[in-house]
Amino acid sequence: MDHKITMENLQEIIQSIPLLSASASRLLQVTANPDHELEEVISLVKTDANLTARVLKVVNSAAFGLMTEITSIDRAISYLGERIIVSIAIGDCAGKLFEKELSGYEAAGGALWKHDLRTAIAARELVVQSGADISPDLAFTAGLLHDIGKSLISDYLKDTAPDAVSQISSQDSYDYLAAEEKLVGIPHTVAGYELAKAWQLPNELCEVILHHHKPSEAAEEARALTYAVHLGDNIAMLGGFGTGSDSLQYHLDSGYNEYLNLPPKVLDSVMLEVDIEFQKLEQSLEGMGG
Amino acid sequence: MAQVILGVGDYGASNAPGDEVKTFALGSCVSVILLDPKTRTVGMAHVALPDSSINKAKATEKPGYFADTAIPALLAEMAKFGCHKKGKGMVVKLCGGANVMDSNDTFQIGKRNALAIKKILWAYGMGAVAEDLGKNFSRTVAISVETGQVTLSSPGRPNWNI
Ligand SMILES: [Fe+2]
Ligand SMILES: [Fe+2]
Repeated sequence: MDHKITMENLQEIIQSIPLLSASASRLLQVTANPDHELEEVISLVKTDANLTARVLKVVNSAAFGLMTEITSIDRAISYLGERIIVSIAIGDCAGKLFEKELSGYEAAGGALWKHDLRTAIAARELVVQSGADISPDLAFTAGLLHDIGKSLISDYLKDTAPDAVSQISSQDSYDYLAAEEKLVGIPHTVAGYELAKAWQLPNELCEVILHHHKPSEAAEEARALTYAVHLGDNIAMLGGFGTGSDSLQYHLDSGYNEYLNLPPKVLDSVMLEVDIEFQKLEQSLEGMGG
Repeated sequence: MAQVILGVGDYGASNAPGDEVKTFALGSCVSVILLDPKTRTVGMAHVALPDSSINKAKATEKPGYFADTAIPALLAEMAKFGCHKKGKGMVVKLCGGANVMDSNDTFQIGKRNALAIKKILWAYGMGAVAEDLGKNFSRTVAISVETGQVTLSSPGRPNWNI
């Protein structure tokens, strides 16, 4: 059976997906600028009553165990930090994409959100621990969005997981991207990239989404960021949160050494940190994506 | 049938014949399975990292998380079921410890986990009779307490036993 997706089909799929809200879209643009101020984030959130309410709900959730309720949005945002605000905004607009069952990957509902959240936490932690000149919060956002293309092509991949997996183990396909391309014509990286462009995401984020399995091919200005997400993705998969049938079915691009100076045994501390942080975030963002 | 579900860093045991001891989606984590034929007890630890020295507080809170603290904790747990304290007579099986394709030393956490576990088991005079370690896919493990059969599964692959 032939279920090939053409570029035209892909555009139709993308058009059927709700656009990001104006505030979420602005938020992603503002936070991608290395010189932005927290004030800008605060005033953006304030323009969106829904988002403001969600942020206050999250900050006062049991996960943070605050003794007294925070009622000021300014305080809530500085307490939570940018990355959690971005997670809430993305979850509000695109929660369904993250939440849906991805039968093409034999993945239960919420598996993609968990994978993305762990990738985001790991990418951020790698940036912090390597002291790279990248915004840790931008690495987080990029991690959150990197695999969004999976939810666009998953339905077309239905029942193909055994085939994809055996193509890779018999080396007929180089990795899961190559298998996706053979099976449905478009890999999840390209599908995600097209969505990112339709959403008018900042260029660095588009680059990460397109090249996260081979950062050496990303544009120079986005390459370090793409490596951080690439490694974060691998850490999420090694940690047992790899979406579904595609988990660990990709190659490590070891060119990261030039961009990220990783201390020895960094993996041990990053993996531990991811487990701790994930528990906290997942609980506080409950119902956001999965 | 009751399921004893173990998350990352958990360990546990059961001797109820209807039970199944289970852990989901091992990536680089390793599942240490101890079967005690004498008391018909099944124990398992879901180990995430080789060495507890990186975070002692975590090791105290969740000894199953690290290879060096998981095995003593699991043996102590199984002793509550009447098993030998040092694991005498137990059958050992290991699975998990996956790696990334084209992995380098930094990323071979699965391999380091498996090595650390084997070293500690050797110190107890124990060795695995069966193992399914390494390679590049995630594994879900289920053990029937009644038969001791270890069943592995992974999305996109038929189930297998070790
Ligand atoms: Fe991906
Ligand atoms: Fe991913």
